[in-house]
Amino acid sequence: MIGIPYLEGKYAATMDLYSQQSKEFNRNYKFYEHLREGRLTTTRCRSCGQRMYPPRVMCPYCTSDDLEWVDLPTRGKVLVFVEQYQGVPQGFEAPHILAIIDLQGELRFTTRIVNCKAGELKEGDEVRMVVFPLPPSLVETRNGIEERERVFYAFEPVR
Amino acid sequence: MKVVSMDRNVCIIAGGMSQFGVREASLREIFQEAAKACYEDNPAVKPKDIDGIIVASAYPERRAFQTHLAPLVAEHVGIKPRSICIRCEVLCGSGSGGIILAYGLIKSGAADVVMVIGAEKTYMPQRWETFYSELASQDHEFDAPHGIGLPPPIFALVAKQHMKQYGTTEEQLAMVSVKNRRNGMNNPMGQFRQPIDLDTAMSARPIVPPLKLYDCCALTDGGAAVILACEEKAKDLTDRPLVYIRGTAQASVHNMSANMPNWTTWESLKIAAQKAYRDAGIRPSDIDVAETHDCFTISEIIEYEDLGFCEKGEGGRFIQEGKSDFGGQVPVNTDGGLLSCGHPFGATGIRQGIEIMKQLQGRAARQVEGARFGLTHNLSGGIATHTVVIYGRDKD
Repeated sequence: MIGIPYLEGKYAATMDLYSQQSKEFNRNYKFYEHLREGRLTTTRCRSCGQRMYPPRVMCPYCTSDDLEWVDLPTRGKVLVFVEQYQGVPQGFEAPHILAIIDLQGELRFTTRIVNCKAGELKEGDEVRMVVFPLPPSLVETRNGIEERERVFYAFEPVR
Repeated sequence: MKVVSMDRNVCIIAGGMSQFGVREASLREIFQEAAKACYEDNPAVKPKDIDGIIVASAYPERRAFQTHLAPLVAEHVGIKPRSICIRCEVLCGSGSGGIILAYGLIKSGAADVVMVIGAEKTYMPQRWETFYSELASQDHEFDAPHGIGLPPPIFALVAKQHMKQYGTTEEQLAMVSVKNRRNGMNNPMGQFRQPIDLDTAMSARPIVPPLKLYDCCALTDGGAAVILACEEKAKDLTDRPLVYIRGTAQASVHNMSANMPNWTTWESLKIAAQKAYRDAGIRPSDIDVAETHDCFTISEIIEYEDLGFCEKGEGGRFIQEGKSDFGGQVPVNTDGGLLSCGHPFGATGIRQGIEIMKQLQGRAARQVEGARFGLTHNLSGGIATHTVVIYGRDKD
């Protein structure tokens, strides 16, 4: 880091935009393994049957910790969107497009829309999930510093 | 059997704020300025009279590399707490959350006289870091990786939906900023004191359409402090009319974008407002003056509706017809609100409490004549959480 000589070559997780996805730091690491397979998944409670998003280790409806992985649709429809041209946060490019999408009636959330030029997107457009690599996190182990690969998802217009 | 519940009345007896804006000062210095202004507001209260301190600040770990903040602030403002010494944080509602905690402690007898002090140092040597840290404010694992965290896109999504559902117009949004900028002219401690007209607001550069420059509150350094006391102590410590905390609530329904029940009706605001009105034994129409969370113009419009000042969907007309202005049904953001004062997260709810205290004591810069009930409201995060405090001139 420029200006902080004692952090030269160091990885500061507190300055990392993305969270830790690997098994040693995240019990729900399978969410990211599934993303690599092109699957958007979450947990469902085996006790009460409720599905929750994002995935958990405890059911917030009945407090059971007997949860299983289930798939969500990876295609949806744009309900409303905005395009940001200025003040886009570090790590993102303008236009930064955010949309609330509906995943075939199963879930609605806010997602980034990628592979889309400014002015192109319309309400009602169909979108599909895309998965892309993130910078790895760097974990100190007995063998030295090891890279932990990471991924995340966004949605793109179906053309 | 030992009686542990005292259930006393609680009063707000002093309040002051630092200069808000882009400050050439550190976080701890802004806290000291806020405390100094608070002590000057009521010289009868000495630091030794204060037995507790609650410190509100959202980002001290990131922006001042400082945790264990409350003892540090207590040391700097001359207080040696013996009942409570703690920081509270719920982003933009941190300050009013602190007031609720102090109220509960005093009401129960766990504390007698408490300072609630909030401050934020927002501007960093390089400005990107301020924006970058904002990505901590949403669900960091599942929302922030989409670049969600800076508020303008979130509230632009809200505005677009409200406009579509209820016919709210960009002009009605602009009217909120024109009113609040006009009110802010009277506030020497605010970030902006220049009024704007409707043309200026409407022709301002877009931030995230449909939101333009004056639809958005600024980033701000600043601090504010109030002193709360049990009624018995309050009578000793001030000659001004007593102002009582009459009702409080903080409600949160969901946090992540996937779980928002509704973007244009703020469920947790309705829950918090209903509980606070019930505590106070009053209805929305009893409120004489309100300080609501105008982080964006669309926010104030939805707040008119969900606080019960008007029917759902009528917020745009409420501002257009002057009902939230002086002389209207309920003057809102009489000190300029977030749009004029700026928004140092930990300080905002406290700044609002100061304005309501002054209004109910009859000494506001621009006075709502005969005000008996005042309300403050904050939203925090991506509209997840809402905080409402009702103040009254009468104890019951």
